[in-house]
Amino acid sequence: MESDHIKLLSATATGDQQAFAKLYQSTSGRLYAVCLQLLQRKDLAEEAMQEAYVRVWHNACDYHSDKGSVIVWMVSIARYRALDILRSAAHKRERGGLDHEESSDHTPEVSLFDSRERARIDECMDTLDEAQRQTIQLAYFRGLTHSELCAHTGSPLGSIKSWIRRGLQTLKRCLER
Amino acid sequence: MNYLTEERKNSLSAEYVLGTLHGAARQRYQGLLIAHRPMRQALWRWERHLNALGAALPERQPAPTVWHAIQRRLGFEQSTASTVTSLPGRQPRPGGAWPWLASVASIVAVALAVTLWWGQVGVPSAPSQVAVIQGTQSEALWLIELTERDIRVQATEQFSPVSDKDYELWLVAADGRAPVSLGLLPKDGELTLARNQLFDQVQVAALAVSLEPLGGSPNGSPTQVLYTSQLVTL
Repeated sequence: MESDHIKLLSATATGDQQAFAKLYQSTSGRLYAVCLQLLQRKDLAEEAMQEAYVRVWHNACDYHSDKGSVIVWMVSIARYRALDILRSAAHKRERGGLDHEESSDHTPEVSLFDSRERARIDECMDTLDEAQRQTIQLAYFRGLTHSELCAHTGSPLGSIKSWIRRGLQTLKRCLER
Repeated sequence: MNYLTEERKNSLSAEYVLGTLHGAARQRYQGLLIAHRPMRQALWRWERHLNALGAALPERQPAPTVWHAIQRRLGFEQSTASTVTSLPGRQPRPGGAWPWLASVASIVAVALAVTLWWGQVGVPSAPSQVAVIQGTQSEALWLIELTERDIRVQATEQFSPVSDKDYELWLVAADGRAPVSLGLLPKDGELTLARNQLFDQVQVAALAVSLEPLGGSPNGSPTQVLYTSQLVTL
């Protein structure tokens, strides 16, 4: 899979539209899941997808293996686009309104991350305290800010910041062991 | 503040990737990324670590319109005929069975409704294959039946046509040949189109709908592909 992706991305970097179409076919399911999980709305997730793939097309030559596998690099691009959309004032969710989207485009994908495949990082996530793991997962999969995490967990800001900082330090030690 | 101590580099990069670095701190970090290669390396390390979580999510297939919109934004329209043929290769992949099943289930559900609808108006022969052309919000725009004799098309009430354009239906064959026109679609009500003999000669990868000047494609190729749909055998 990864070697196929590298070939398709290399061809994309030379302007090969068919290779780009195949790369889209092979990766769009993963990227859409990331956008949908974060944005919780199909229309916004589709907007993020468009921006992400336009960026992949223009920046294909910037990829190198230090940035991870091709799919992880593409997930990074899609997730930053989705976070930008999430943070933009027009679409900002009501604080604490996690499960009360009123849009007709609301999608019942709230807990897509519960059924994900276990990745190497999950073994390390298991070593975190419950509070650390929960705040990092909510920030990663739902894009919650510090203040939204306070509202969601009912915990003070100092605790939230500390859980995230210490959780990430523990993750790093575990992942680079 | 020395941003480039190892610990500082790591915590800033991790929180940037996680999405919890906000406001002025985020802007300062982006400035540091441009100026300092070690900071970029720390960023890539955290992207590799954390985005493995995102890459492990179960796949969800976006609507076909997303790909069309990307092509439009990148100015690929000129080569529409060749790129359309690449779309129907979308197949269920390992780990992606559920969205595929859900999609087929919804198509079959609509197909049954179509069958009932045709039954009510007393059409004699049962449809052999059906397709539902869906819009950007997954709303059904046209219901299409392929019978042994003809193609019956019904525009739904959810379809809002552009008055100065026509909508053309195309057969996209799996063998990669250029799309073949099946005729113009109705803007309202129902219409019967001739059944192209290619249906019996090639494997049909998909049906496609294009936006055309009034009267249909001026050059025999789709001008702007809007939607694609697969035929489902009942």
